[in-house]
Amino acid sequence: MKMTTNAKTHGIDISSLQREARTLDLDTETTTLKVRDLRLSYGDKEALHGINMDIPKKRVTAFIGPSGCGKSTLLRCFNRMNDLVDGCNINGQILLDDNNIFDRTVDVADLRRRVGMVFQKPNPFPKSIYENVAYGLRIQGIKKKRDIDETVEWALRSAALWDEVKDRLHESALGMSGGQQQRLVIARTIAVKPEVLLLDEPASALDPISTLKIEELIHELKNDFTIVIVTHNMQQAARVSDYTAFMYMGDLIEFGVTDTLFTNPEKKQTEDYITGRYG
Amino acid sequence: MELTKDTYSTHISQQFNNELEQIRTELLTMGGIVERQVHDAVEALLTGDAELAERSRRVDKQTNDMELMIDERCTTIIAKRQPAASDLRLIVAISKAVNDLERMGDEASRICRHAIELVEDGESQRGYQEVRHIGNLVRSMVKDVLTAFARNDTELAYHVAKQDKAVDQEYRTAMRSLMTYMMEDSRAISSCLNVIWVLRSLERIGDHSRNMAEHLIYLVSGTDVRHQPLSKIKQTAGISEPEEPKE
Repeated sequence: MKMTTNAKTHGIDISSLQREARTLDLDTETTTLKVRDLRLSYGDKEALHGINMDIPKKRVTAFIGPSGCGKSTLLRCFNRMNDLVDGCNINGQILLDDNNIFDRTVDVADLRRRVGMVFQKPNPFPKSIYENVAYGLRIQGIKKKRDIDETVEWALRSAALWDEVKDRLHESALGMSGGQQQRLVIARTIAVKPEVLLLDEPASALDPISTLKIEELIHELKNDFTIVIVTHNMQQAARVSDYTAFMYMGDLIEFGVTDTLFTNPEKKQTEDYITGRYG
Repeated sequence: MELTKDTYSTHISQQFNNELEQIRTELLTMGGIVERQVHDAVEALLTGDAELAERSRRVDKQTNDMELMIDERCTTIIAKRQPAASDLRLIVAISKAVNDLERMGDEASRICRHAIELVEDGESQRGYQEVRHIGNLVRSMVKDVLTAFARNDTELAYHVAKQDKAVDQEYRTAMRSLMTYMMEDSRAISSCLNVIWVLRSLERIGDHSRNMAEHLIYLVSGTDVRHQPLSKIKQTAGISEPEEPKE
């Protein structure tokens, strides 16, 4: 390209910059979760009308869309939280590493270890900070104190919480601030080393600074986990995610690279939603 | 998605609608002022009207002030509204177009200065024909690009980009003939140079019009067509008529 040669004469090679700017492409990603013709209905009312998508590995995928569009419903499918809802009927497949998670042989508890979830409101157990994070490990049958200590520290460090709580690990988790509690819940989730982290509006009950901390954390965590986040805050989706899926009335309208979707969406519905025309 | 004239009035926030509509209107107002500046500059030169040139130069202050004002509005909208998609492209395109308009104003001012010099030092023997011709071409480009902005008309914008080629061609021809003339008669160099600078400014105004046309195509289509050949611009602008024979 002409530009490159020009830049080279000035001693700068901009070709690497150009490459970096274009690395994201859904077609070249490894897939963690494959959604295949997923239909879900509550009683007679169909809430998801045949969703097909591939969630890329170790990337942040955001679901956006107006209330009731089915984004939380879809998110909950990934670790079968909808199993607990009366009258909920699911057709289609979700493949986690090519195994259908709705298969009868799947152990739901194991699935939920592999696909962890964090909710809107922080829900720490009424136990000490340490015990909150150690809980999942104990359930898994890990008994050695040294192993547990190590993992707790790792999880708290990964959740950017260690420095704030290392001197009061054995105090009640309920005494922490909302933002700290949410990061503790994330630490608890990642302590069992899941493959996928589902975040259902993880920052909507938090103040702006705590929100930024969570967003920064999401950015760090994507090095180790595949992250799927549902958010009502479009700027948040634009800030934290690599890929964005826009859903409307139970359909997946558009799914693509976040930068493209927020600057030049393909569909009019997407454009109208992200520019504040309806929703 | 397709942009229509109602695109900027359908947000849930009425305030946001007003803000976008306002900067669009202001851009076109500024465009009107610059169009007038270019018109007056060419007229002043051709008729040897130093007073008109002086008046037109004073208008440049207005253009500069408008640039500052529109840019500030764009910054405020970005900070307050976090515009996305076509709204974001509108802000970016306007911010760049304003820059081009301001430079067009500067060039018009420069033409006026040379017009005054030509009146004071005696007019050139040659070049007025070329100034009239290129001046007309450039004036219609400025007018068209503003119309294109007002209507989000990419076809007209492509037409402006195409015109710029013609202006460049005319400019080169004029240059050659004036150069020959100066070689023949060295006493004419001083006044002839004034005319050359004027032609140069007109050619620059044409370039800025083409830039604006490219910003408009970006605004409407989302594809950046700067530094692209005309054929690519044509394709992006969505024009499918058969290729005209090469001139």
